[in-house]
Amino acid sequence: MQFFVFHLMPWDRLPADFDEKHKSAWTWLPNSTFEPVHGGELYNRYLDELVLAEPLGFDGVCVNEHHQNAYGTMPSPNLMAAILARQTKRVKIAVVGNALPLYNPPTRVAEEFAMIDCISGGRLIAGLVVGGGPEYYSFTVNPTFAREMYSEAMDLVLRCWTEPGPFEHYGKHWKLKYVNPWPRPIQAPHPPIWVPGAGSRETIEMVAARRFSYMGIPYFHIDFFQRNFDTFREACEKNGYTADPLQLGWLCPIYVADSDEQAWADYEPHFTYFRKKLLKGLTVFPPGYTTAKSMLGINQALKKFLLNVETREEIEKGAYAIVGSPETVRDKLTEYVKRLGVGNLLGLFQLGTLPADLTRKNMTLFAEKVMPAVRQNCAAL
Amino acid sequence: MSASSASFEALRVEIAGKQIHMNVGGAGSPLIYLHSAAGETDWMPFHEDLSKHFRVHAPAHPGFGRSTGLEQIDDIHDLAWHYVDLFEQLGWRQVPVVGFSLGAWIALEVAVLRPELISQLVLVAAAGIRVEGAPVAELFLSDFKEARELVFHDPDSPVVKVAMPLTFDDSRVLMWMRAQEATARVGWNPYLHDPKLPGHLHRVRCPVQIIWGRNDKLIPVAHGEYYAEHLPNAKLSVFEQCGHMVPFEKKEAFVDAVIDFAAIGRSERR
Repeated sequence: MQFFVFHLMPWDRLPADFDEKHKSAWTWLPNSTFEPVHGGELYNRYLDELVLAEPLGFDGVCVNEHHQNAYGTMPSPNLMAAILARQTKRVKIAVVGNALPLYNPPTRVAEEFAMIDCISGGRLIAGLVVGGGPEYYSFTVNPTFAREMYSEAMDLVLRCWTEPGPFEHYGKHWKLKYVNPWPRPIQAPHPPIWVPGAGSRETIEMVAARRFSYMGIPYFHIDFFQRNFDTFREACEKNGYTADPLQLGWLCPIYVADSDEQAWADYEPHFTYFRKKLLKGLTVFPPGYTTAKSMLGINQALKKFLLNVETREEIEKGAYAIVGSPETVRDKLTEYVKRLGVGNLLGLFQLGTLPADLTRKNMTLFAEKVMPAVRQNCAAL
Repeated sequence: MSASSASFEALRVEIAGKQIHMNVGGAGSPLIYLHSAAGETDWMPFHEDLSKHFRVHAPAHPGFGRSTGLEQIDDIHDLAWHYVDLFEQLGWRQVPVVGFSLGAWIALEVAVLRPELISQLVLVAAAGIRVEGAPVAELFLSDFKEARELVFHDPDSPVVKVAMPLTFDDSRVLMWMRAQEATARVGWNPYLHDPKLPGHLHRVRCPVQIIWGRNDKLIPVAHGEYYAEHLPNAKLSVFEQCGHMVPFEKKEAFVDAVIDFAAIGRSERR
């Protein structure tokens, strides 16, 4: 069982009239909303929160990539990972991930990930992702080619790490005469690959066939994760092996305080800011990003998406966030981690406007009073 | 959605491995109708009206309606070559072509590649170029309400539901999403235009009738004016109180304009 601290590095100062004036925290929200000096303070504060994960005993930290939005202000997670590679000594550094179709050529990903792996002494976990729907608007990359670009880029990055260069790459989307990236990663044959997914069968089967790890994309009802993880385990069996729990990860907002009531009182306004403002516009699916048929299925699942959930009772029942006293959080996590059979718990300990003091208290309480017990209760995973 | 029963036949042809579905109706000289991004591949009221004067052929582009083969289409030029193949296979030469929006863009690209295939062109609210200061609005919207407010001058008009689904519960949603995907395939980037097309317009020498809605919020009428100025043999007619969806919003005026223009073409050739 491994415990990670995941940070989105959100923008915490949306204007008071955001709800009326803006349909989305993505793509079209004017970047005049971003205040650079405050942005700099936030980056430093958020990095400190990730660095704190190491002395608290977490196994790793996670950063990810999003563009032109207030939900996650890390267009380059690799910059953050590079800083963390120097500021930590032990924890794994998971970049979840680089959106391959947005890198031209995608050998850039092989290079930068190899740099981080070298600097960190082989602590990188390499996330290779398609990129979110809004990113295809922000980059004007044709979403109808998203899957084939992703697949071509994935093969190319793996070849970069496993095949001696220079070699030629003549694919549909990239034609490269000399592929010979320096440096190469420390981890052999290459860093562990994590692929996040929202339940598309194609992704699950690809990850299972290649023996990578599958990370469930958050903010859906727990039953949705259960179904996807079961599908993943079945897909592994079809490929002739039994899934290692470490091939599965569950990303979930977590908040711990001294009592259940205290936890909800602390958390609610910040969580609401996150749900009602930052999530607005995340679930935009450009045409062809996924098949029209899957899209109709996603539309069904979206009815149970966190943005459309209203009450504390619904949040608790669907395990959209685990909030409460150390005992409550410990018991719930033990139950859910066992039920889902996941070997990686990726906790979002900061969300929305949650301030530094509460974030650090949350992480500390979790590390001291929850993590050791869950680790023990779920030792088999 | 057909206007009356069995006034047309639904045909299927294979073009270079793609299964192409095509509605054909009416009698007389042939008229080819190339549909828009809305994917109006069913037999629509304006098809029916046109079929009283022409033998109307309305093929669905690859990836639209029930036509297959989108995987063979990477950009607008692949789509244009597809129509070069289709015209040659069906023996169409010197035929009049009516193109609406995306269809008009395709028709222009075909006219550049094979001028001899097209006798005269009707371009309705044509995509295909970028006009400085008159940007094309965002077509790839998942919200039906926003979409209909964008493309119709009167979004509450009864013709709206003839043209497009109004909610996700509409049985046509899957077809609508396929149409969006197939349009994005050729029109996502560069956005609904071919940067090289303006440089080719002088090669399109056939008579061209351009039709535009004065209140087109998707592709502003400035695009129609650009085409009228840069095509060697073109005339622009602007319909008042009309948005982008001209064949639905101004059906009679649109059909009359096509009939008049085609008649001129026939007398000129005589």
